[in-house]
Amino acid sequence: MKLSLHHQIYFFTISSCLLFVVLVISILWSTQVIDVASKREQYANMIEGHTNTLKQFITRENIYANNYNAKKWLALEKKFEELLQRVPHLTPQQHTIQNSIESQNRNVIRLFNAINESKLKNANEIIKKHLKIRLLTQLEAIRSDSMQLSTIAQKDIKDIIRNQIIFVLSILALVIFTLVYGAFNVVRIIKTSLKEVKSAFEKNHSGNFQKIQLSNQSEEFNSIAQAFNAMNKKLSSTTVSLASMKKIVEERTHELEQLSNTDPLTKIANRRALFERGHYEFSRARRTKSPLALIMVDCDLFKNINDEFGHLFGDEALKNLCNVCSKEIRNIDFFARYGGEEFIIILPDSELSGAIQTASRIQRSLARNSTKFEGNEVCVTVSIGICAFSDKHNTFEQLINDADKAMYQAKNNGRDRIEIIENDL
Amino acid sequence: MTKLKVNNLSSKYSFIIFITITIGILGFYFNLQYFWSMDKHPVTIAVSKTPLSTPFYVAKSINSFDETCVEVEYTEVKGGQIAFEKVMNGDVDFGTSSDSVIAFKSLTKQKFVTHAMFVQSDNDVKLITRSSDRVTSVTELKGKRVGVTKGTASEYLLSTLLAIEGLTMEHVKLSHYMPDKLIHGFSNNEVDAIVAWEPFVFESLQLLGDQIKIHNTKSLSTLSFNLISPTADNQLVEKAKCVIQGLQTAINYIVSHPKESKKIVIDALKLDPAFIDWVWPDYIFKLGLNQSLILNINSQAIWIMETQMSEFNEIPNSERFIDSRALLQVEPGSVNIPL
Repeated sequence: MKLSLHHQIYFFTISSCLLFVVLVISILWSTQVIDVASKREQYANMIEGHTNTLKQFITRENIYANNYNAKKWLALEKKFEELLQRVPHLTPQQHTIQNSIESQNRNVIRLFNAINESKLKNANEIIKKHLKIRLLTQLEAIRSDSMQLSTIAQKDIKDIIRNQIIFVLSILALVIFTLVYGAFNVVRIIKTSLKEVKSAFEKNHSGNFQKIQLSNQSEEFNSIAQAFNAMNKKLSSTTVSLASMKKIVEERTHELEQLSNTDPLTKIANRRALFERGHYEFSRARRTKSPLALIMVDCDLFKNINDEFGHLFGDEALKNLCNVCSKEIRNIDFFARYGGEEFIIILPDSELSGAIQTASRIQRSLARNSTKFEGNEVCVTVSIGICAFSDKHNTFEQLINDADKAMYQAKNNGRDRIEIIENDL
Repeated sequence: MTKLKVNNLSSKYSFIIFITITIGILGFYFNLQYFWSMDKHPVTIAVSKTPLSTPFYVAKSINSFDETCVEVEYTEVKGGQIAFEKVMNGDVDFGTSSDSVIAFKSLTKQKFVTHAMFVQSDNDVKLITRSSDRVTSVTELKGKRVGVTKGTASEYLLSTLLAIEGLTMEHVKLSHYMPDKLIHGFSNNEVDAIVAWEPFVFESLQLLGDQIKIHNTKSLSTLSFNLISPTADNQLVEKAKCVIQGLQTAINYIVSHPKESKKIVIDALKLDPAFIDWVWPDYIFKLGLNQSLILNINSQAIWIMETQMSEFNEIPNSERFIDSRALLQVEPGSVNIPL
C-alpha cells in the first residue's frame, strides 16, 4: 500500500510523538525504579549503622560481668528487629540477603541470650572470649550482608542510569533517523514530482501533448497527474498547433492555387496561369536577352468532331491531345489551355528551331496516338503556329498574337501543319 | 529517471546498512564476552552429597555451566572433609567444604584457598539424644558418650554447646565416626548422643522415630558451604570464575524457582521430599566472601587449637585461605573483605 504524502508526514509526526511518549514513560519508570533502589540502599545503610552500634556495645562492655545491664543492648536489638520489619520491596536476590540478615540476627539473639542467661559462670576465659568473638562474627556477617545489599542497590542504580542513557540515546537516534529519512524521502518525492509536472507543462507549451509519468508515486501528485493527463487528452483532440495549422493553410493555399491555375477538364494550366507564367518568362527573356519561343496548338475541325461523336468524345480528344503534348515538351516548358481547343506552349531558352522540333514531335506523336472512345478510334490533327520573341514584341500578348497569326496561317494552308512567324519578315 | 532510481536504491541501501550496523553493534556488545569465553576447560569438582550442594545439582540440571568457560564433572563424596582430601590429593580441581572443615584444615598448613561461600544454614548440624535418657539441657551430657565426626562442624557444634554451659570436650566421652556411621553407632548403643548433620539427622528420625530427641540448636551454629581448591594460579582462578558464574546462575534460579530446585535435589540425591521440606527453610543460598567468614574460620581455628581438638598449635593467618579474585570478577558486590 502506498501512503500519500500527507499520510506519510502524519505517520512520521505520530511515530516521533509516540517515541517521545515512550521516552517520557521510560524516564518516569526509571525515576521510580531508582527511587525504590535508593530506598533499598538507605535501608541497607541503616542496617549497617545499627549493626555497628550493636558491635560497639559488645566490644566496649564486659557482657559476662554480673552487673552488666543486658536490657540496654536488648532494647537496641529490639529496635534493630523493628528496622528489619520495615523492609522495602526487594528483588528475589536481595530478599535472600534479607533472609540471611534475619537468620544471622536470630543467631545473635540466641547466642546473646544463652550467654546472658548463664553468664558462663563455669566457663574459662578462653570460652568467654571465643563466644564473644562469635557474637561479633555474627554481627559482622550482618554488616557484610547489609553492605552487599547496599552494593547491589548502588549497582542497580548505576545499571538503570546506564541502561536509561543507552535507551534514551537509541530512541533519540531512531527518532532523528526516522525524521531525517522521512524528510528526505518526502522532499525527494515532492522535488522529482514537481520537476516532472513542470517539464510536462513546458512540453505542453510547445504543443507536445504528453502524459505525466511520475517516477515516485504519491496520492497528491498522482491526482494532479491524472487531472493534467485528462486535460491534455482533451486538448490534444481539440487543439491544433500553430505549425501544423500553417502547414494545413499552406497545403490548402497550394491546392486552391492549383485549382485556380488549372483547367478543370484537361488538368493542365489554364489561361490565367498561362498569362501569369507568360508575363514572367517574357520579362525574364527581355531582361536576360535570352531566347523565348511560343507554340500555339489548335485542334483541327473540332466542331465537326463534337457534332459527329458528341461532346464527351470531344472532351476525350482534348485530354488525349494534352497528354501527348505534356509528354513531348521539356521540363522547363509551360503548357496551358488558351481557350476552347487552343493550347499554348511557352518554351523558355528555346530558339525557333527548338520550338519547331517540339511541334514536329507533337504532330508525330499525335498521329500515333489516336483517341479511343466507346469503340471509336479517331485520329485528331492539329494546326500549329510558332513564333519567337524579338525586339518588336513589347508585351507577351503581342507574342501570342504572332503565334495566333502563324496558327491561322497553318489553318489556311490546309491544317495539320506548322507555320512560323519569322521575326525579320 | 535513472538518477532517481539510483537515489532510491542508495537510500534503501543506507537504511539496510544502518540496520545492519545497529544489529552488529548490539550483537557485538552482548556476545563479545560470550565468544571470548568459548574456550572450554574440563573441570572436576568433589561435591558433598548433601542438600547444601543444591546449587551444584541445580547448575547441572539447568545447564548453567554451558555458557561458561568450563566443562564440569562431579565426583560425589560423603561430606566436605572427603571432598577436601580429594582436592588436596589432586584427584579433583575443586571441592565443597564447610567452614568448620576449612578451620580444621587451616591449622594443618595445607595450601588451599576458598573462592566463594555459596550456602549457609543455621540449623544443619543437630544434637540427638535418646528419648529415654530425658536429656533437656546440654549440661546433662556431662560424662556421657557422644559420637561426632572428627575435624568437622559436628565436633565444633558439640564444643560450642558445651562451652555455653561452661563445659569442655573433656567432660564427655568422645567417639569418632564417619558421618554416615553415626546413626549406626547410636542405634547400636555405642554412644548416648550424636552430633550429626543432614541428611543423617532426618534419617535417624525416619529410622528411630520416637526413640530419639532432636535438640533445638538452631541459631547456635552457622554452617556455610564453600568452593575450595588448592592455592590457585591464574588459570585456576579463571576456572573458578567460570564455576562461580555457573553457580550464580543456579543460585538465581533457586531463589526464583524454589519448587523446581527442590525437585532437582530430591531427584539428584534420591531424597524423601519430606526431608527437603524439613531442611529447606534453614538454607540461605547466596554467593559471598566476607569478613565474617574470615572471622568465623579464625575463631573456630583458635577454638579448635585451644580446646586441643587438633594437635596443631600455631594460629593460622586465615586471610591466606581466602582468594577473592574469581568472585570479584563475577559478583564484586558479594566480596566484602579488607584488601
